[in-house]
Amino acid sequence: MSDQRYKLHPISAVINFVKGLKELILPFVVLFFANGFNLKENSGQNDFWLSLIPVGIFLLITIGLLISGIIKWWTYEYWFEEGELRVEYGLFVKKKRYIPFDRIQSFNYKEGIFHRVFGLVQVMVETASSTSGEAEVILTAISKEAANRIEIVTRKQKEEIRHADLQDSPLIVEEIAEPLSRVIHKMTTKELIILATTSSSMGVVIAGTAAVLSQFAEFIPFERIFEELSAFIKFGFVIVALSIMAGLFITWLAAVVVTFINYYDFTVWEENDRLIITRGLLEKKRVTIPLNRIQAVKIVENPLRQLFGFATVAVESASGGFGGDDKKITLFPLIRKKELLSPLEELFPRFNWEPSFTKPPKKAKPFFYRIDFIWLAPVILASSYWLFPYGLLSFLVIIPAVLIGLWQYKTTGFAINEQQLTIVYRVFSRVTFHVEKKRIQALESRQSYFQKRREIATVQVRVMSGMTGASAKAANLENENIEEIMKWFEKSNPTIE
Amino acid sequence: MRKQLMFQIPKKGLTVWRLYGFLNTMIIGILAAVVCFVTYFFEWPSFIYLIGFALIVLVGLASIWWFPNIRWNHWRYEVREHEIEIQNGLFIIKRTLIPMVRVQHVDTSQGPILKKYDLANISISTAATTHVIPMLITEDADQLRGRISILARVAEDDV
Repeated sequence: MSDQRYKLHPISAVINFVKGLKELILPFVVLFFANGFNLKENSGQNDFWLSLIPVGIFLLITIGLLISGIIKWWTYEYWFEEGELRVEYGLFVKKKRYIPFDRIQSFNYKEGIFHRVFGLVQVMVETASSTSGEAEVILTAISKEAANRIEIVTRKQKEEIRHADLQDSPLIVEEIAEPLSRVIHKMTTKELIILATTSSSMGVVIAGTAAVLSQFAEFIPFERIFEELSAFIKFGFVIVALSIMAGLFITWLAAVVVTFINYYDFTVWEENDRLIITRGLLEKKRVTIPLNRIQAVKIVENPLRQLFGFATVAVESASGGFGGDDKKITLFPLIRKKELLSPLEELFPRFNWEPSFTKPPKKAKPFFYRIDFIWLAPVILASSYWLFPYGLLSFLVIIPAVLIGLWQYKTTGFAINEQQLTIVYRVFSRVTFHVEKKRIQALESRQSYFQKRREIATVQVRVMSGMTGASAKAANLENENIEEIMKWFEKSNPTIE
Repeated sequence: MRKQLMFQIPKKGLTVWRLYGFLNTMIIGILAAVVCFVTYFFEWPSFIYLIGFALIVLVGLASIWWFPNIRWNHWRYEVREHEIEIQNGLFIIKRTLIPMVRVQHVDTSQGPILKKYDLANISISTAATTHVIPMLITEDADQLRGRISILARVAEDDV
């Protein structure tokens, strides 16, 4: 085993620096705005030097960041020794981190714009303990060959450890040739566009645009404009309508572009019991999930997509995905429901993907919307009272509330298939949650006084996912059904004891 | 219907809950007193006194007498060989099943009030959730903690 020490690519100093700078932008902008740009023009004034202090601080911090970025790169070293990946950095305070190869769950890759230019990658080393979404070790920028070398060394070492464990088996080291990999799913451009069009991130973009527009509102002399427009009030309507339409179109376009960049070339591979997902146009990301770390599979259909027969498939995984912000890993961002079955069956042969659901009983129907009245009643009463004649219109809110409740009632259900529990429910989007018994962390039934009277109850399962875990809930099922699920989950039956 | 679980919280636990309720009422009482004083000072309408008084009575009744009773009646637990079952809740009764295999660690904790009454809380953590059985006699809590940790170690994964 060579103990050669490797360094990161020099560009990682720049990346460290830029990353630090990014985090600084917000406080600095706040500082500047609070100061109100009141830089004095000549040094004759008393507080000229005083007004320079923020700028000076900013400059100092920037230089500090630059130096610390360079130092981190200069001192950063990684090497392989005694079956461990070892990392060391720091000038005054030396930080060392040794990770045994057999603890390494997966390597995730990310290629930003800087990386793309020099043919580098950022490598994130995931271990079982890095559930918080933070990778154990991040190699900011190394060449692709170096990344490959790490992966090969890790695989070899793992193999050696396995052979050492099973000593009776003859040593066949050369067996680990090229790993078998096959493409499970690849997104087409058409699907990509549909994904962008129907995604909820459109809402985010609209909200963002609204926020920006409201900022500009102060600068636009609305009153004068309206005065002039009042003459052309009939035109005004058309113009307003047109500009709203144009605004919506632009936001839609922005959403499409953002989604397109993020999900460009979305491909799912399977390789040696691991799932590999690559995506991205400008910033390429690559995530590896060992199949045995997957806790549950979730099929989500938002109403619009359900209408056209599309669905999204996500997996709840014990190890973090691309980083802290998305713990839930999207397996298929958009897939036709008809085409869903074959890739899923290929990946998870033990699951039954089309179980027959047991539905809540008829008597449970009102329970799905009655709960809404509790918070609706005060809102309706208040608005009816204070906004008297028009406030009465708020009574109409009851209609959609009841309709959504009925829709939820129609969707809800559960199914048990040997070791697998499937729960289907709806808030707005229809969610089908498939989980194996051995992945369930806790099972809970809830019953309110009113539910008890009608002999119905709600059941909730919890699985591990990221830091907080994930859960699925089937509401207002028949008591016996709840009983059945609890019995199924128990190992020792209390009656036999 | 499912069999009623075997163990309840000791009666002392109810006393401690009442004590917590009393402390809560005290805090509300202090707030109400401040509001009443301000009302007197600025000569606000006198119905504010009434509201303050009613609030104290209501909170007192609920948090000293009513809620602890309900809660104590609903609280049941059982630690079996392969799972832990807990029932609790105020208006919504929850029953939770935790398989022994999933238990990662068990802690007991004891604040000053609990210590005075020789009680302790026991909390059971899985990879995704934490469940607390409150107000057990310290000795029982320690024993239970030991038992759960042994059972959890013995429990085998049924893959």
